[in-house]
Amino acid sequence: MKQRYIIIGFWALLSAASAIIVNTSLVEERSGENFDVIAQPDSNTLPAEEEVFKLADKALELKQLLESGQNVNKELTAYYSRRAYPGAPPVIPHPAGEERSPGGKDCLQCHRHGDYAPAYGAFAPITPHPELISCKQCHVPVTTTGNFVANTWSSTAAPGSGQQALPGSPPVITHGLQMRSNCLACHASSATPAKIRVTHPERVNCRQCHAIKNNEKNVPEIWTR
Amino acid sequence: MPIKSYIVFPSKGKKDLLRQQLASLAGCEVIPALNKDVLILVTETFGNHEEDALMASLEKIKEIEHLSLVSGYSDHAIHDHNNK
Amino acid sequence: MMNRRIFIKKTAAFSAMAAAATMVPGILFAHEQKHDNPASDITWHKAPCRFCGVGCGILVGTQAGRAVAVKGDPNCSVNKGLLCVKGYHQIMCTSASDRLTKPLIKKNGKYVEVTMKEALDLVAAKMQETIKKYGKDSVAMYTSGQSTIPEGYVASKFMKGAIGTNNLECNARLCMASAVAGFLTTFGADEPMGCYEDIEHADVFVLWGNNMAEMHPVLFSRMLDNRLRRKNVKIIDLATRTTRTSKAADISILFKPQGDLAIANAICYELINNNWLDKNFIEKHVVFFKGKTGLGYGLEDKFAFKDEPEAIDFDQYKAFLNDYRPDKVEALTGVPAKEIKYLAALYGDPNLKVVTYWCMGINQHTRGTWANNLIYNIHLLTGKISQPGNGPFSLTGQPSACGTAREVGTFTHKLPKGVVTNKKSRELAAKIWKVPYERIPDKPTYHTTEMFRAIDRGDIRFIWIQSTNPLVSLPRTSRYRPALAKDSCFVVVSDVFPTPTTDVADVILPAAWHIEKSGLYGNSERRTQYWDKMIEPPGEALPDAWMTIEVARRMGFAKLFPYSKEKHHEEIYNEYRQFHAGKKHNMAPLSVLKKQSGAIWPYIEETGRSTLWRYNSRYDPACDTTKDFDFYGKPNGKAVIWLRPYEPAPEMPDNEYPFWLNTGRVIEHWHTGSMTRRIPVLHQAVPHAYVEIHPADAKRLGIKHNQKVKVISRRGQTVLPASVNDRGLPTPGQVFVPFFDENMLINDTTLDAFCPISKEPDFKKCAVRIEKV
Repeated sequence: MKQRYIIIGFWALLSAASAIIVNTSLVEERSGENFDVIAQPDSNTLPAEEEVFKLADKALELKQLLESGQNVNKELTAYYSRRAYPGAPPVIPHPAGEERSPGGKDCLQCHRHGDYAPAYGAFAPITPHPELISCKQCHVPVTTTGNFVANTWSSTAAPGSGQQALPGSPPVITHGLQMRSNCLACHASSATPAKIRVTHPERVNCRQCHAIKNNEKNVPEIWTR
Repeated sequence: MPIKSYIVFPSKGKKDLLRQQLASLAGCEVIPALNKDVLILVTETFGNHEEDALMASLEKIKEIEHLSLVSGYSDHAIHDHNNK
Repeated sequence: MMNRRIFIKKTAAFSAMAAAATMVPGILFAHEQKHDNPASDITWHKAPCRFCGVGCGILVGTQAGRAVAVKGDPNCSVNKGLLCVKGYHQIMCTSASDRLTKPLIKKNGKYVEVTMKEALDLVAAKMQETIKKYGKDSVAMYTSGQSTIPEGYVASKFMKGAIGTNNLECNARLCMASAVAGFLTTFGADEPMGCYEDIEHADVFVLWGNNMAEMHPVLFSRMLDNRLRRKNVKIIDLATRTTRTSKAADISILFKPQGDLAIANAICYELINNNWLDKNFIEKHVVFFKGKTGLGYGLEDKFAFKDEPEAIDFDQYKAFLNDYRPDKVEALTGVPAKEIKYLAALYGDPNLKVVTYWCMGINQHTRGTWANNLIYNIHLLTGKISQPGNGPFSLTGQPSACGTAREVGTFTHKLPKGVVTNKKSRELAAKIWKVPYERIPDKPTYHTTEMFRAIDRGDIRFIWIQSTNPLVSLPRTSRYRPALAKDSCFVVVSDVFPTPTTDVADVILPAAWHIEKSGLYGNSERRTQYWDKMIEPPGEALPDAWMTIEVARRMGFAKLFPYSKEKHHEEIYNEYRQFHAGKKHNMAPLSVLKKQSGAIWPYIEETGRSTLWRYNSRYDPACDTTKDFDFYGKPNGKAVIWLRPYEPAPEMPDNEYPFWLNTGRVIEHWHTGSMTRRIPVLHQAVPHAYVEIHPADAKRLGIKHNQKVKVISRRGQTVLPASVNDRGLPTPGQVFVPFFDENMLINDTTLDAFCPISKEPDFKKCAVRIEKV
């Protein structure tokens, strides 16, 4: 039985995509004769969309690694247990190298490209922001398990993974992207828990298919379109 | 029996009004975006004549700032299938 | 069988939704709602961070009345979305199980829960009774650089305007007083001239006795980021101890404690003798002065000092510097002459922009005011000041040490504008407060150290301590803990958690924490930041300002405190703004502060802009426009280069006590740790204090890493585990202890000597010996 489909939807998608690449950079006006025009630091120095492509040159390597089966099948629960709440900087779950080092090379030697660390028998997670080199500013080791006084803190539920609008449609992005806009770093490393690992790291333009979805209110705009 | 879907951009502040107007037209289903001024319109008509009439009534609605077709399906496919 | 038509309609609708999502990011449709999960239902609120003086903008996520997440505010120009580990986890302290939620009164040696009304009645009655029996100057308030601007303001109005005593001090005396005295003596007006934007312009950063990687981590990262992007940036760490900052710096220069005074003078010697001066700048904008020498150290009770400034000329100053030729001071500073010459060459190169950063190393110093003056001397001789990327910048440790302690003036000698000894300042305060002018006393009473000495002597018989923990943070707590525990003084403590200070209180008042109240803070770069209450305080906890107002009303001052409970912070800020009206210190109106992540004063209302560089007429409309620079804090518009010699520290290592003791912080903990230790992530990273010892000293004494040792001074002793070659590495003959740990109170051993000008104690230098336990 023969069916004919006329599908022009994808043409529309393509034309829409090309039409929306419009850059609306606002230039703050600095009037007044007495004042020099000083290069104001860009208030949005945080990840813009180009971050997505940061690891693009490594995509094929990552794919090979994933396919080689050489990975530690870490559970998502372990992943979240290192964060006080979804979006918090994770703690350092291993001896943190030279204590006097603020991080930098000491951390990046494993965490830049997610290399295998024989000392821990595991692949290192890739940092989504290797340009920030004072690592221990946000990531601290765990040297004891007790508390100073009991604390009833409980983390909010982690955003569910694999949310799709329709069966088979690309899952949406359910977490904030501040400091985590480099998708491949977390979703394509060998240390990535199976549940959130991407099957196709070679397709590096992630947000072509995966849309952002959250119900957060008063979220400041971080995109520099 | 064509089925088509559109992205509809309402004129400023007219999203709700437009949603009501579109929903009142025969063969039209509206899915408003929750957080942006955008509507999705899905139309279903029973022939070219009816399709033209619907297009004419859509063109008259001044609350539509912009309307763009996303996908369309031919009547034969649907008709054939339903007869199986 | 699924209806094919319905399926196609759904697919058509979904294609359109997908297309819409690429065109309008973040778009949501009702169809997707069934997949919602509660985690994403978060509302974000802006605020400044609760901790240090950098003043990062944070966004606190709340969900169902609870704070659940923190992220950096990408629209805050201070931090641009980045925070440190303390900032990210700050809200976790609110769920600590020992949170103070009910007022407690000590009855027969035991704490009994009472209602807030009963507690405030008692505080007011005790205060009144004490005044009646022993006079106004027998009651005192000790507040904080963490008090909000409204909290500091009502405390000042209450003590100075209502009661009529200058017995108001705050813990910023322990950290920023030398910076204030430095600014006042050199420029005649407090607070830095530049701002954090200097970081984007400077070529050289000299970090002077400041472990910025751990203490001001977000600014440090901003500096590292600039070094990465602009190839020519150099960071120089000038310190007495090798730290993470030294590791990240391009050059690390180590000097002997107290050697900083000689180093600064040696740099000035080099600048003059190599003719690396901005002569035009010096001629037009600088005068030379000298003050008294041999000032003493304030070790005895009721110590008094008054400087006698005397104008000198450039030649006298030049002759004075002859004693500081780099090779002559090598022995004193421990720094090779070539390193001092190198530093001087950087400062002196007209093509390099230089920013100097410092904090407690310079301020907590028995010659702290001098040390501040000496850094200004370098920048004034080279004219590298008040320009983008050029300037001395004094960093702050508390979130509102600038905004509240210094600008509102919660010090004994201060008023919201000016000082109590100035008739005009008193008249202005009396007018705005609507109190008789005669009521504001014209003489300062006790600065912090002297206030606790007065409690020990029995001169002060009532004290209300708000938002600070002096029995961990004062120097020589071995004297002041028993003093505060004495029956002669009735002690009221408002706090969020129990501390060693609440342990000796007669009344404990539960205070609302940061985001449980609305408020304003002022950071190191003159930025005033506002936040709204986000969650309810637990139990009967109240904002400190409201407790002060309630007590004032009970004491018969209701007319002076006509504020409403809901909006008092706004009403108070609007009243306070009147003090700073005018070009030199105008504060941004609330409407502006609610919209944006803070504004830097002087705020120019006509243009809606912050003044980024003061004293430079290109940026600062308060300047005389006929001049390029105008140091308008001084009547003649000229800054002062001070002749300040090297003088030794009051207590130096000797045979009996052979080590220098230095104290400070670690990145994970903030000050006395009452908040950060209750945050599991931070406590689990650094669960207790330790004493850092140089490996050579440890070897000689047979001490191993983690082994318990006793740190003993002439005042007391503390037992801590040794830390050998770990996070910090003190120079041989020096030990370092972080002071956050209330179970290992290092301040029992420190010395309560202070700078005679600023009255700020020196927590960085005293003599100890180390013994194995």
